[in-house]
Amino acid sequence: MLILLLLIPTLAVAAIMLGAPAKKTALIASVLNLLVSIVAAIQFVPAAPGYQFEQIFPWASLAGLPTIHFHVGVDGISLPLVLLSTVVTLAAVAVSPGDIARPAEFFSYVLLIALGVLGAFVSLDLFFLYIFHEFALIPTFLLIGIWGTQNRQFSAVQITLYLTLGSLILLAGLIALVLSLPLEARSFDLPVVQAAIAQASLSGHLENVIFGLLLIGSGILVSLFPFHTWAPSAYASAPPAAAMLHGGVLKKFGLYVLIRVAIPLLPGGAEHWHGWLIALLIGNILYVGLATLSQKELTTTLGYSSVMHMGYLFLGLVSWNEIGLSGVVFFMIAHGLSTALLFALAGEIQTRTGEIRLAELGGLAKKMPFIAVTFIIGAMAMAGLPGLANFVGEMLIFFGAWHSHPAVAVIAVWGIVLTPVFLLRSVSATFFGPLPEKFAAVTDLESGWGRAPYLFLLATLLVLGFAPGLLLAWIRPAVAQLIGVH
Amino acid sequence: MNFAQFFVPEILIVVLGLGLLLWEAFGSPTIARLAKASIVGLVLIGLSAVCVSTTDTYFWSGLYVWDRLGLFFKEFLIVCTILTTLITVQYESRIGAARAEFVILPLFAAAGMLLLVSVHDFILLFVALELVTVSFYILVAFQRSQPLALEAGLKYLVIGALASGFLVMGIAYLFGFTGSTQFDVVAGVIETQGASAGILFGVLLVLVGIAFKISAVPFHVWAPDVYQGAPAPITAFLAVASKAAGFAVLIRVLDQPFSEVALEPRWIAALTVLAILSLLLGNLAGLPQRNIKRLMAYSGIGHAGFILSALSSNSVAGHQAALFYLVTYLLAYYTIFLVLAIVSKGGGKETVQDFVGLSRRSPLLAWSASLAFISLAGLPPLAGFFAKFLVFYSNWQSGQYVLLVVGIVSAVAALYYYLSMVRSMFWADPIETAPIVLCNGTKIVLWVLIVLTVGLGFYMRPLLSLVGHAL
Repeated sequence: MLILLLLIPTLAVAAIMLGAPAKKTALIASVLNLLVSIVAAIQFVPAAPGYQFEQIFPWASLAGLPTIHFHVGVDGISLPLVLLSTVVTLAAVAVSPGDIARPAEFFSYVLLIALGVLGAFVSLDLFFLYIFHEFALIPTFLLIGIWGTQNRQFSAVQITLYLTLGSLILLAGLIALVLSLPLEARSFDLPVVQAAIAQASLSGHLENVIFGLLLIGSGILVSLFPFHTWAPSAYASAPPAAAMLHGGVLKKFGLYVLIRVAIPLLPGGAEHWHGWLIALLIGNILYVGLATLSQKELTTTLGYSSVMHMGYLFLGLVSWNEIGLSGVVFFMIAHGLSTALLFALAGEIQTRTGEIRLAELGGLAKKMPFIAVTFIIGAMAMAGLPGLANFVGEMLIFFGAWHSHPAVAVIAVWGIVLTPVFLLRSVSATFFGPLPEKFAAVTDLESGWGRAPYLFLLATLLVLGFAPGLLLAWIRPAVAQLIGVH
Repeated sequence: MNFAQFFVPEILIVVLGLGLLLWEAFGSPTIARLAKASIVGLVLIGLSAVCVSTTDTYFWSGLYVWDRLGLFFKEFLIVCTILTTLITVQYESRIGAARAEFVILPLFAAAGMLLLVSVHDFILLFVALELVTVSFYILVAFQRSQPLALEAGLKYLVIGALASGFLVMGIAYLFGFTGSTQFDVVAGVIETQGASAGILFGVLLVLVGIAFKISAVPFHVWAPDVYQGAPAPITAFLAVASKAAGFAVLIRVLDQPFSEVALEPRWIAALTVLAILSLLLGNLAGLPQRNIKRLMAYSGIGHAGFILSALSSNSVAGHQAALFYLVTYLLAYYTIFLVLAIVSKGGGKETVQDFVGLSRRSPLLAWSASLAFISLAGLPPLAGFFAKFLVFYSNWQSGQYVLLVVGIVSAVAALYYYLSMVRSMFWADPIETAPIVLCNGTKIVLWVLIVLTVGLGFYMRPLLSLVGHAL
């Protein structure tokens, strides 16, 4: 079942290469993938322990190297992320214009990113977990470089170098983790590693070093302060589809590694780095939050705000209790959906007006009411207003943090004040005030299927906002299990 | 016992070379036909080598050894020779007064290298190395009407002689202090007597001699100039085959004469220093290069650093990593040089410009070159990633943390120039817009290289079993 998720985009890319119409094929593939993931979600049994839909094949072995397995499976933590990936992929394909330059390449790269993220979230082997994620970097590079705007060349190279550095540090950490196990227990297979560490945990010093590597590696990937500088410029120059997939989904991979591998397997290391992580996440929330206030473009504002919200996710991580962690997983989904929605709309505004500087925009609500309304609702979600999904995630995270680190929670909560400030500023600068003359001929999204992807993302945000139990029913048992291991 | 069977590949290659020379003297074959004959011959020789023997045998009173490691490298080098000949066919028009020797001489160099990877004695090592080097002297300076080619030839000659000097001196010291040149006898003497200062000096000089061949920093200065001036197929041959032969010799001497316990920490330290310097200089000095061949020279120095870093872990995992790395390096380098031979105008002026906008002129060429560059950069899911993964794995396993850190930093630095190559192929508008037409043979070769580069990245088991079998 899970292998289908990987097979469908692969076949679609092959079909596009062989000359199938690019957008249509990509759409069919992402709809099929969404259906597969929904079927998986329906068949998923939340209360069952361990992983479900598991499949495992030995993949490669060499004397002196533990066997690498191709091992897939999901639990209550990765299943929501898989659904997030398929939803955002569909939206990203749908909002991309079919008449874009070099369409075959464009849609192939989008599908390859989807393949990479889905592979990373369903893999239960550390080796494949790693390579699927890094596999998505090259298509990201090409998408930003070829179809990007503004400073695309610089941004594309910068994001690729930064993320490769992060990935390689992460790789060193994963290798170190595997090699630190006793010889007969060495394996890249995650459940085996978990079992081995449950038997005998590692020595303190080693744990600290390995956790440090994993934290810095994934910190760069998640844009943890001060490793965040790649993110805003990359998202500002990326084409909307790339920003949606990367900012919305791919970036969550680093957090996923921390939740799945680093913290549960190396609790001592987590304790050791605890203070550092708290200091850095406050940097994310307050420093980056203040930096967001001074942004002069719509896309960089969204990029910075996406970096800032990573701070909440780290806050939930350091609390490491059931409620906080459930909040992290929930907020990852909510943040992914709202980020994707806002990036897609910002891209739409940019193509329709040819302008992205806040000072030059204005009054667009009259000309594009649909875009304005969806953008404002998306911004409200981002700001954490009740009724939308982000609110639930943020609330759970702050409950969790209050429980374990009240002082940090009190400092971090100021971020909640900052977010509406810059979001309202962007909204008012873009949609209200006098309409510049040059935008007299600007039009709204035509009614019809063109609006569907935006409404679809909006609907998911609303549904999760009003019925968070849908997701929490999967997340909470899995998180409880994770904490039990801890 | 009949030893001739163990020389079957070498003898056949020399016979093939002589036969082609005679054909050229009495018939008047075109370069393309000579190349075809040479390729067919090499494929048959490659197949015959597999059938020679499956047991490890020392023969010629222990001067020479037939083993699986030797066989691995023999096949590796035969593949290199075949690919070099293929590139030569593409490059033919640019050689100017094309001569048959250009196709035939690589065969003699190959015969020398095949011999080299099976030596078990220092004298034979020297003789085989000289056979290789002499053939390369001619090949490097083949376009001798061009100043750059002359410069390259002269530098290769002078520095090659210097390297041979170091090697001979080292061999002389080892002979003087151990009374033998045979690997196992030398090892035995070192084991009983311990490593005296004279022996250490000999070991050091031998390592320096080999370091020239694999162009490890600080013995690399010849590489960029020679690579730039030599004709593209020969540059590829030098960069891959000659370097691999150097590594084969290195693995041989580390495995036997220098494997004594007292000696190990010394050469591990030496290799570590060489690896760190090569990684840093190779990958950082590549950044400002505009000439593709110079770029490939620096990147080759960096890759030599990675392979050295694997070998200096002195473990089975490290050796396997080195062999795996060499294979992925072969795939990537030959792909790039094949593309280069098609798109460039030759004459040492192969700049990045030749690749600009290549994706519009020929998507296949652009894709093969990009995948090769990305594989060299070590990004998954390409074969180069798994090679680097094995290197990092062996680094951590043997506690070589400094090498790991330097490796990661230089991999990211190198990614920058590999990405800028990909960028110029895909983003920029081409200077010449005429589409490049490829013949079917070239297309097939490119597809085979692409499939291997991508396939071995995803499904590495066949190559792993090959590598595991060689050690």
